[in-house]
This record gives sequence, structure tokens and C-alpha cells, in this order.
Amino acid sequence: MHGFETLHKRQTEEPESVTKIPRVLFVLGKGGTGRSSVAAALGSCFAARGENTLIVEWTFSEAIAPWFGQPPAGHEARELRPRLSVMNFSLDSTLREYFVGHLKLRLLHDVVIANHHVQRLIHAAPGIAELLFCGRIFWLTALAREEIGVDYQRIVVDAPATGHGAPLFAIPQTLAAFDAAGLLALERERVTRMFADPEWTGAVVVTLAEELAVDETLELVPRVHRDLGRPPLALLINRSVDRSFSGEVDPHWLEELAASSGRAERSALRTLYRELVLRKERERQLRRAGGALADLGAVPLEDRLLAANVTSPLEVVQPMARELDFILGDVA
Amino acid sequence: MTARLHVLLGQGGVGKTTLASGYALALARGGRRVGLLGVDPAGRLRDALGMADIAELPVEVPGAPGVRAALLRPGDSLRRWAREELGQDERTAKLLHNPFFLALADRLAAATDAFAAVRLAEWAESDPALDDLVVDTAPGLHGLEFLGKPERLLSVLHGRLLRWLSAAATAGTAEREARRVLRGLSRIAGGGVLVELAEFSLLMERIGAAMIGRLERARSWLRDESTELLLVYVARPGAAAGARLLAEELHALGFARGPVVLNRALPRSLLTLPLDGGTAESRAFRRYVHASVRLQEETARELGTSFRVVEAPVASGLDAEGPAHLAALEALGASLRLALAGSGAS
Repeated sequence: MHGFETLHKRQTEEPESVTKIPRVLFVLGKGGTGRSSVAAALGSCFAARGENTLIVEWTFSEAIAPWFGQPPAGHEARELRPRLSVMNFSLDSTLREYFVGHLKLRLLHDVVIANHHVQRLIHAAPGIAELLFCGRIFWLTALAREEIGVDYQRIVVDAPATGHGAPLFAIPQTLAAFDAAGLLALERERVTRMFADPEWTGAVVVTLAEELAVDETLELVPRVHRDLGRPPLALLINRSVDRSFSGEVDPHWLEELAASSGRAERSALRTLYRELVLRKERERQLRRAGGALADLGAVPLEDRLLAANVTSPLEVVQPMARELDFILGDVA
Repeated sequence: MTARLHVLLGQGGVGKTTLASGYALALARGGRRVGLLGVDPAGRLRDALGMADIAELPVEVPGAPGVRAALLRPGDSLRRWAREELGQDERTAKLLHNPFFLALADRLAAATDAFAAVRLAEWAESDPALDDLVVDTAPGLHGLEFLGKPERLLSVLHGRLLRWLSAAATAGTAEREARRVLRGLSRIAGGGVLVELAEFSLLMERIGAAMIGRLERARSWLRDESTELLLVYVARPGAAAGARLLAEELHALGFARGPVVLNRALPRSLLTLPLDGGTAESRAFRRYVHASVRLQEETARELGTSFRVVEAPVASGLDAEGPAHLAALEALGASLRLALAGSGAS
């Protein structure tokens, strides 16, 4: 039943090969599947367990801080709750902090990095922004305590949507094609090391039990497995209807409801019902799926609309955090 | 350019791909010659149209006469342009194996947005009889990047970088700064990278020139009066804030404010369904319907009154296969067309 079940089993049955929830969790998935909600819920859940947690977004339109009634965080971590902070990655700030703060090379930054030709190159060269994004997460987990006295026990990454987000784990291989030396090679080596360690980096994939999202998930999961060298830790099925909806096809009461409604209402009712039936069916397929998904635990996250009126994102995030806390049990 | 451009924008999962496909089918039903370009790197267009594959160059959509679909594939386009501009010779082979080219061509979505505008113009050039081009963009602000900053990538392909690099290799006081920067860069990335970069810039110069011409045509096409920018959203928590932000960005990029499309719109009258009585399953369903309509009302309230909202009703039959699926898509597109015409937006 539990999605992190495989982990749990490994932990209890084979104590010598304990797999913990890694320190850095990438939340991947198609746009609109609820990646940010899951990242916020996971973050809340770890923070409630007493871990100092940071959620990292990389987006033009910051979502998470405003959900908690805060102004957008920007590149500086903003505290949302005790032990829970969020930041939004900025390439320019990271470059500055990397050269000036970390390497103490202000001159190199001001002469080389700030040069407008180099700026253009950095912003357009494929892979550089992604490498520095991952490098930033390396720094946050490996060096930030020593350098600036900040220590995050847990980092949840709200990765960009599949199209842009999936190649993140392939960055070290992509950059291996370049004849790189110096700092670029050092940064690549660091990120490779972080990705290779299953206690350091892991991924969860969020999906909806809808056609396009499932298709994308079936491509994303093997891609993550290939690039990272291990499968994602879990497949989170968001807006699950499995628990509270039986999925009977065309029940008589639906016909009665439809018969007493106008034309537009009738069509909408039938479509909404049909969609729930399909979601239930696809969910079952996802849970039983072999192939690429065979190694994954499938975690259903309940569709709140079946239980209550939901109008604000926090009304989704808070119950989801409770569900995830239950699912994680004592694994983490 | 005489064809009319329709660009669908919006956050992930709002149904851009489905709506764009339906809209293209509905336009073609009226006898128009329609192109459908999928820009989203995830490439969901083929699933929406029930096709096994969609290539970089337009192909007829089976069962939908008049509609030709293509997916944006920067790598395939680049390789084709390299052959078209440089011919099949050693230089082309060298370029096709340059690591910058390979990275650009194969792996990374970062290039996608910039190529979209170039592909639009190329499509219009190669098919002068085209009446409409419908574009399904990448999610969120990634979709806007190609409208606003398509020159981002091209600035690297442009000869200016090359001239600057070669200036650094020649003597003279004006070039001293360039040499300093290059020495710094080789410390950061290694000398090999610089050689590869210079080689790449040199070979890409001609391709870049062709791309820049198309880019400029695409930019004015995007800003043409006839161009329709449709901002799509669905009712879900936080959706209004997302839609408003996209609208603000569009405005900041200098585009006129177009209609906002509420996809999967439900009739408000569903709130009159009684919540009590019947089986548990029936009650759960009615509660779900109520909660969905309330969410839609709340999202509309948060969106405010400054937008012209056009509704695309929640569509039935999209789960069918084959011709029935295409018919359902087309019916959805026809309702969108009608709603846009009714609002005076089209």
C-alpha cells in the first residue's frame, strides 16, 4: 500500500543495505501535475519532523512563498514556517556568490563573468545554467555550513517541468562532450559525485492519472533511471480518486441526474463522471504497470475535491503533507 | 506573411495542446489550410492527435484534411539547416561533430524557445498558401520566451562573438581587454573549450545569418494585428495568480491584451444540484461537482474583472480513439472559435 514500501522493506529486511530518503529530493513531472504542491508538502512534512528544510524552485513565476502568504523569496532563502525555507534559483546571483563568496575571486568575476560577451555566452550556452543550478545544490549540502554557517538537513527541489527539467540528471554526461578543464570540470565532477550517491540525491515523479500526463511519465521514468543510474524512489499519483470513488460505469443515478438537467449540464455531468472513471482505471494500470514502472512504489495522493471545497493552494498542500508523513512512516 | 498566427500560452496542464489541436481542426473544417506547430519540448502533440510520430517537417494529420502538424526539434532543424547552408562537405561534417553543436542540437531544451520563432517564419516561407498557423507553446513563461527574447540564443550564433574572439588573438591596445577576458575564461573552462567554441562560431555564422533573417520576420509577424495570443487557464488553486502573471509578462513584452480562455468551463447552474439523498457514491460525485464549480467561481473572482474571459466548455468524447477522438477535438475547437467570435476577439 505504501509508496515508499520498497525502501521500507529494504530497510527492515536487509539492515546492512539501508536506503534512506536521500538528503536532496528532486520532484519531477509534467507541468500541471502538482509538482510545486508536492514539493511544498514534502518540505512541510520534513520540517514538521524537526529537519531544517529548504525548498528550491527554479522558475520565472514563484509559487510557493505566496501560497504561505509571503512575498516571493528570490535568490535568498525565505522562512515560511519554523525550519522550512524556500528560495528561487538565480543564475546571476549564483555566479556572483560562486566567484566572489566561494572562490574569493572578485577580479575574475568583474573582468570575465561580468563581461557582456561572456554574459551572453553563459545565458545561451546549453547546460551551463543547469550545471550551476545543480552545483548550487551541491554547495548548499556540502559547503554552506562551513562557509556561511547555514546547514540544511533536507533539500526538496521543485524541478522545472518535464520538457525542461528531465535533462538535469544528464548534465554531467552532456558536458563530458566538451573538452573542459578548470572550474567547469571541477563543478562537473562535484555534481557527478552528488548524483552518484543514493543517500545524497534521489527523485520522485509526480503524475496525474490522465492520458497526456501518463504518457509523459512513461517516458520520464526510464530517462531518470538511465541518467541517474537508478530508478526514481516513488511515483506519486496526484489527485487520486481510488480511495473514495468506486468507478462503476454509467450508474443509474447518473442517468437520473442527467435526465433532470439541461443540455450543457448533462454533457458536463457525464464528462466529469467519465473522467473520474478513467482516472480510476488509469490509476490501477499505473499501480500494476510493469516495464519501466515495475521497480517503483506508486503513492496515491487523494483528490481533495472529492472530500471538501478547496480554493487555495494551502488547502491542498496541508492535507497532502499529512498523507506524505503517514506514507513516509519511519523510513526517512 | 499572409497567414494568420494563433499562439496558445498558459501554465502546464491547462490543456494548451488539446485546445491547439482542436482549434486547428476546426479552422481547417472551414476549408482553410492550417499548420499546427508543437513547441513544447515534451512533444505531447502526437498523443493529442493520435499519431505515432510527428516529424520536424510538417506532415498531414491522418483523418484531418487540411491540417499539417510538425514538432519543434531544434536538433533536426539545425542539422537540416547546416546541410542546406553549407552543403554536404567536410565543413558540415565537422560542424555536426562539434561538441557545442551536439549539445545544442541533441540534449537541451534551452534552445527550443529561440528556435520556435525561426521555424514559424520558415514554415510560412515554405508554404505560401497557408491560411493559419496554430502554435502550442511550452508551459508557463517558457512559452513567452520565444515571443519576447528569441534573440537570446542567436546572439551566440551571430558573427559578433566570433569577431570578438578573433580580435583577442590579434595585437593592439583595444584588444587587451578581450585577451584578459579570454585568459580568464580559459582558467574557468579550459583552453579546449575555447577552441571548440571558436570553431563552432565560425561554422555557424552562415546558418546564423539565415536564422536571423527569419527571426526578424517572425518577430514582426508575432506583433501583427491579425495575430491571436490566447492565454489559457483552468480552475485550480493558484491558477488566477499564474494567469495574471503571464498576462503581465505579455504586456511587459509589448503585446496587446488578448482574451483569456477558461478551459474546461463548467455550467454554474450545476450548483443547484442537491447535495443530499441518493447513494454514497452519488453524493460523493455531486459534492465533487459542487467543489469543482466553486473552485471555478473562486478562480474567476481572483482573476478579477479586467480580463475578457472566453470559455471553452469541458469537452466530452476526448477519451475515444481514432475518428471519434478527432471529431471530439474538432467540436472543442469549434466551441472555442465560436466563443472567440462571440466575444469580438477574433
